[in-house]
Amino acid sequence: MSSLSYLVSRLMQIIPTFLLVMVVIFLLVRMLPGDPAIAMADAKATEAQLELIRQKLGLNEPLVMQFLYFVKNTLSGDMGTSILLKAPVLEVIAERIPVTAFLTLYAVCLSILIAGPLAFVAALNKNGGLDIAIRTGFQIGLSTPVFYIGLLLLTFLAASLGLFPVGGYGATFLQRLHHLILPALTVALYTSAIIMRNLRSAVIEVLDADYVQFARSKGLSRSVILGRHVLRNAMISTVTLLGLSIGALMSGTLVTETVFAVPGLGRLMLEAIFARDYPLIQGLTLTFAVMVSLVFLFTDMVQAWLDPRLRLS
Amino acid sequence: MKTLLIAALASVSMFAISSAQAVERGGTLTFARYDDSNLVDPVYADRNPDIWMVTNLYDTLLRTGADGKTILPGLASGYEVSADGKTIFITLRNGIRFSDGSAITPADVKFSLERATNPDFGPWSGLLGSVESITATDNGVTLAMKNPDPTIVSILATFNTAIVSRAAFEAAPGANDQEKATALFAPGTPVSGPFTLKDRTRGSTMTFSANPHYWRQGEDGKPLPYLDEVSFVVIPDDATRILKLQAGEVNGAEFVPFSRVAELKADPAINMELYPSTRIIYSPINSRETRADGSPNPMATKEARQALNYAINKDALIQLITHGTGKSMTSPLMSSTTQLAYNGGPLYPYDPARAKELASASGLEGAEVTFTTLAGSSDDATLFAAIQQMWSAIGVKVKVEQVDNPTRGAKNRSGEFDVHTFGWVNDVNDPAQVAGWLGYYPTRKAVGTGWNNAEFNSLFEASNTEIDPEKRSEQYRRMQDIYTDAAPLLFLYETPFAVALSASVNGYIQTPLGNNEFSSAWIAK
Repeated sequence: MSSLSYLVSRLMQIIPTFLLVMVVIFLLVRMLPGDPAIAMADAKATEAQLELIRQKLGLNEPLVMQFLYFVKNTLSGDMGTSILLKAPVLEVIAERIPVTAFLTLYAVCLSILIAGPLAFVAALNKNGGLDIAIRTGFQIGLSTPVFYIGLLLLTFLAASLGLFPVGGYGATFLQRLHHLILPALTVALYTSAIIMRNLRSAVIEVLDADYVQFARSKGLSRSVILGRHVLRNAMISTVTLLGLSIGALMSGTLVTETVFAVPGLGRLMLEAIFARDYPLIQGLTLTFAVMVSLVFLFTDMVQAWLDPRLRLS
Repeated sequence: MKTLLIAALASVSMFAISSAQAVERGGTLTFARYDDSNLVDPVYADRNPDIWMVTNLYDTLLRTGADGKTILPGLASGYEVSADGKTIFITLRNGIRFSDGSAITPADVKFSLERATNPDFGPWSGLLGSVESITATDNGVTLAMKNPDPTIVSILATFNTAIVSRAAFEAAPGANDQEKATALFAPGTPVSGPFTLKDRTRGSTMTFSANPHYWRQGEDGKPLPYLDEVSFVVIPDDATRILKLQAGEVNGAEFVPFSRVAELKADPAINMELYPSTRIIYSPINSRETRADGSPNPMATKEARQALNYAINKDALIQLITHGTGKSMTSPLMSSTTQLAYNGGPLYPYDPARAKELASASGLEGAEVTFTTLAGSSDDATLFAAIQQMWSAIGVKVKVEQVDNPTRGAKNRSGEFDVHTFGWVNDVNDPAQVAGWLGYYPTRKAVGTGWNNAEFNSLFEASNTEIDPEKRSEQYRRMQDIYTDAAPLLFLYETPFAVALSASVNGYIQTPLGNNEFSSAWIAK
């Protein structure tokens, strides 16, 4: 199978996933307890005002009709108007996607930069002092809540030492790198712990593989063995894990973006849930579903590039 | 004709007492907010982050003083009320202009007030329900009333009657008024308030810059505002907002948790302000004969509800939850900062013996009561734990039910609750709004309690057309007595608005209605 047909077949698989997500979102949002009109209106709102909201959202229509409208409008690019923000959902989401995408990508880069070298150091010093120290450090990172790590970083590196801004997003690319380093690091510390453990195990396993032993016996240099044979083969499972982690990482932005005052999709989702803003919740969930599907697709493509056997199968 | 000219008050500045220092002009004040403004328009503002910003962009004909009670001149230099209370003559101040330099005319005022009375626009039209028609005159407007309305003066000082530019609305894109209002919440829109909107990134930042044509004079005899700009950053997390202030990245942070007040008060670089508010924390008690499931309601009698109130040590709650920053409620219907609030001392002071006696006599003893709290709210969790302990002393078992805000609202409306937590802040400088909410059955079943008292209802209706201040005051006094005795609420406590400012910031206030007032704020260099 060529790379292009592999890509097309993977893209086709996304369509049923997307439709299933639409059904689930639609039903889940409506299964939440409480009247959404009451949630969206002020507590002081009169019955007439509540009725107006219900009409506006089509909440008086039968559930099937509501779903059909939802599918029709979504497919035509109309996700409705956010009750909370009084603006088209698509417009609001489009404003926030670059923020969350930037933060996620930043966190992924930091995760790789932290986990990659340390995994190799740990693997090459298997069960040695350095290996134990690295694993213990990451274990602490893994078992500490994300919001707590965030607040610690904010308190010491930003508020006390003044090295970084306390929250915010910045206007230019460089400002964003500066503003988002702490939230990205907060997320990266958690993700890198998972990646490091996996990569370390994979490296140890590959180091014992026959083809590595053979490469050594051929007299290849250590750097060539590690770079060409060990890294590429150890990365296959790590790439899968990284792809899965990005999905988790996006959900982690709910907390991180709130703590660090980053105006991204995660914070918006939290606001939408608290306000029971149906159109916005639906739009955001679909957006997350698409983003995660695309990340998984990208992960599959990288895996296929690393291991052509996957593409052929 | 009764004349209530208030032009003489023009020299009284609401901020005159705020600072004895010479003011300094210029600079940008950066303020950290807990939430963003989504639509700052007098008519469509329906959330506090929107409502509390309106008067920075749009001036009202009259203004509410810093104490939340007094009425000061605004774009109107004065007003007169006819003897029968059915006509209001409003005189506009001379030479007032929008931020683009165009004159603020009687036609703009008529347009703005007609928007505010239109029931199809926004949730606040009921506040002007007594207005029959609005006529523009040479130097102002005349309001013809359906009936005398003692609240009308306060409503003319309320955000929803703020003055917008008719020409701007007519020129704005949009198929209807709301779309036009949304389009006008953008840089460049001519406004009548002390600031104009300079820029905005939704959910993140917003900047106001000084309106060069604003009419009000500062203490130095020059036009307000003192600041060049106010820059807002949205930081939802309390701890991060405070860190931002401590790091010197912002000059102010609102909604400081009460648990942090003492710590920030001790910081010499920070001025920890506790502004008096109209905020009250209370718990509606289901007062119906039967519960929603049809079973007998042990809290149906006033003696049972009084027992529940007497059994609560409010001082302990104030220490536990507000860390000593709150105070006991003294009026059953409103905060002590609201007009016509009757201060008869703390309501239902802790009296376990009396509570036990009333619980026994009313048959409350041995009953099980469900206390509905907000999931995730530490204040509610503390309140429940304390009340569970306090009520066990009178033989009442309490079980908790944790729900989210929409579910709590739905339960309040349907009556499917025993007792739940709630809070209130006035939007209007008049007690009619809060009294209508808490006690008047036809509006919302007396805040969902189902308490229905014919005398109270009739007094409330009468007070809404009573223009003799003394008689109205008497009506409110009686309503408060009735409400105290009936106790359809747990009267818990009042809390201030906690705002932390850099020590260099002067003149900023948050009014008891919650409005963030930056027009007289300045930064010492």
